[in-house]
Amino acid sequence: MKQRYFEKCCTTITYRMIFLLATALFLSFQSAFASTLNNEAPGRKLAKQAVKDSVKWTTTDHSQHDILKQNFITGEETTKACLSCHSIAADQFHKTIHWTWLASGDKSDIEYGKAGYSVNTFCLSANAMEDEGCMNCHPGWNKKGIKAEINCLQCHNNSDCNVFTAFADIKAFLEDGDPETNEIIPDIQEEIKDATTGVGLPTRASCGSCHFYGGGGDGVKHGDLDSSLTKPSRELDVHMGIDGENFSCTRCHTTVDHNIAGRIYTNPAVSKRESLLDDDMAPKITCVSCHSSAPHKNDTKMNDHTDVVSCQACHIPTYARELPTQMSWDWTTAGKLKDGKPYHEEGPLRRPIYKSIKGSFTWDKNVVPEYKWFNGSLKSITVKDTINPGQVVKVSCPVGAESDLPSLIYPFKIHRGIQPYDKINKTLAAPMLSGKNGFWTTFDMNDAIKLGHEVLGIPYSGEFDYVETAYAFPITHMVAPKENVVQCIECHTREGGRMAAISGVFIPGRDISSMINNIGMLVIFGTLGVIILHAIGRIITGKNGRKEA
Amino acid sequence: MLKKSMSTFIVLVFTLVSISMAFAASAEGPGGNGRKGKYSYRKVCKACFKAGDSESATPKISPADHTMEKWKTVFENKNFKAFGCESHWGKLSDKDILDIYTYFYGHASDSPTPAKCQ
Repeated sequence: MKQRYFEKCCTTITYRMIFLLATALFLSFQSAFASTLNNEAPGRKLAKQAVKDSVKWTTTDHSQHDILKQNFITGEETTKACLSCHSIAADQFHKTIHWTWLASGDKSDIEYGKAGYSVNTFCLSANAMEDEGCMNCHPGWNKKGIKAEINCLQCHNNSDCNVFTAFADIKAFLEDGDPETNEIIPDIQEEIKDATTGVGLPTRASCGSCHFYGGGGDGVKHGDLDSSLTKPSRELDVHMGIDGENFSCTRCHTTVDHNIAGRIYTNPAVSKRESLLDDDMAPKITCVSCHSSAPHKNDTKMNDHTDVVSCQACHIPTYARELPTQMSWDWTTAGKLKDGKPYHEEGPLRRPIYKSIKGSFTWDKNVVPEYKWFNGSLKSITVKDTINPGQVVKVSCPVGAESDLPSLIYPFKIHRGIQPYDKINKTLAAPMLSGKNGFWTTFDMNDAIKLGHEVLGIPYSGEFDYVETAYAFPITHMVAPKENVVQCIECHTREGGRMAAISGVFIPGRDISSMINNIGMLVIFGTLGVIILHAIGRIITGKNGRKEA
Repeated sequence: MLKKSMSTFIVLVFTLVSISMAFAASAEGPGGNGRKGKYSYRKVCKACFKAGDSESATPKISPADHTMEKWKTVFENKNFKAFGCESHWGKLSDKDILDIYTYFYGHASDSPTPAKCQ
């Protein structure tokens, strides 16, 4: 009798388990099937709506304006021609960071920016716009800084003509008085006319002519901005890919009064992350602007991450995916000569690993970012700030923490440097590099620092040494296609995961909580114990809750 | 006879030295007009494109593609194969080639002013 009852019990339990399994399978298939039918993630759908109209329109044809078809002799003449119609453009532009090279920071008595007291781990300082080497990227004519006339063509030239050198060449040919070279001038003027009559919104190449070459070369400064983005594939950047959405920079970096959205120098690029559904006039600069804060499919776990993890953290698995980026710069070796002459050495990635004028460099490709909490602000060290030479000086570092509510986990490129500092005043040094008395000519660092500090109006003790430094760059371009994003296991792993350095948040798989573990074990063993006790009780009593017939 | 041979020899040596000096890069560069050389180079590329001998009128090789030493080798050996359009290079005068050499040498990747930074 007991044997028969035991068999019946087992059969019932087996049927029930099969039923439960079948139900679970049915539900998961139903969910998967529903997802396939409606497989576009809401964030993707919203983004497509936000950018569906890609037709550019204009109210004038610049090629029809005689004033733009002159035989220009100087760059300033082209600006005059532009401003004859765009009458308030110069006033607007004079107030932008692209012109002033000044930014506000956390200390109100210090001017930040290249024209201020900011320093970096590359060419160290722009010496308040006095270092000519930096002025190629200032949008004024003839490297005169803010004293110059603005150069509209620096950004709005959609032609191949380098107007800056074109005008320099015209000037030189007019001055040399050689009839042969004078014959070239009309050809150059024709090239300039292509530029003035073909103006338009800045292209990837126009923005990239400076931003891809920051720090003195292709991919030197930013890990996610280099010349591979001039004509990128979708694989490199889903938004900018010429075989993908083919966005120009201005598609996201929208502009108001010539102020271009997206600058992260000291203050955040935007005051709050909001989508175009919240404010249709908001800049399209954050991922949330077009994709919303719940961008993934409704039934996926990923949407639960968006209040802690930035989109970039998962969607940019590595940076510098096509071209190498510079990872470190050591100034201590600068100034060596071979046979009395400066020289340079090329490394395995076909990038310089040594230059007499600059020192030693390391490069890397396809680099996994470092992750940090980031509220959108960067804290910078200037030449006026006291440093501790016993530690790595964080020349620029992200501000944020888990407890700092707008903060999210962001990917960063950390550029490491070894650079000169004033040993007595304990401040970073700002040597003058270019010019006849600059380091690149004299190879005398002490004199170069003296000259650089004179220009900036800051003291120099006359003694210098070198200190280790670090500079953080947020990684936000080179967004990979969804099939190449960071996998769950790369973060949710016990050792060596991408989030190994992140503190202040519990990451399942990486972290252990003894309390949660104990509760879990209690639930598992408690349930098991109850089941076993229940089963034993039934076997012993020989009853299944029904009266025997 | 000996006098005549000596004179010929001296003239020959003088000519060779002059040519070598013209193409040899001094510390400041080869000594031509680099600015003019840039336009002479573009002119070759345009002419080559016009004749249907190349796919683009835009120069495919930039001075920053190689080092000063490499350009020295290319121009001193007059080996313009990498540029393509060899027939058009053949029509250039020595002065034009010297100007182009000065442009490439002055804006080489290891020069103080690589072409890409211009």
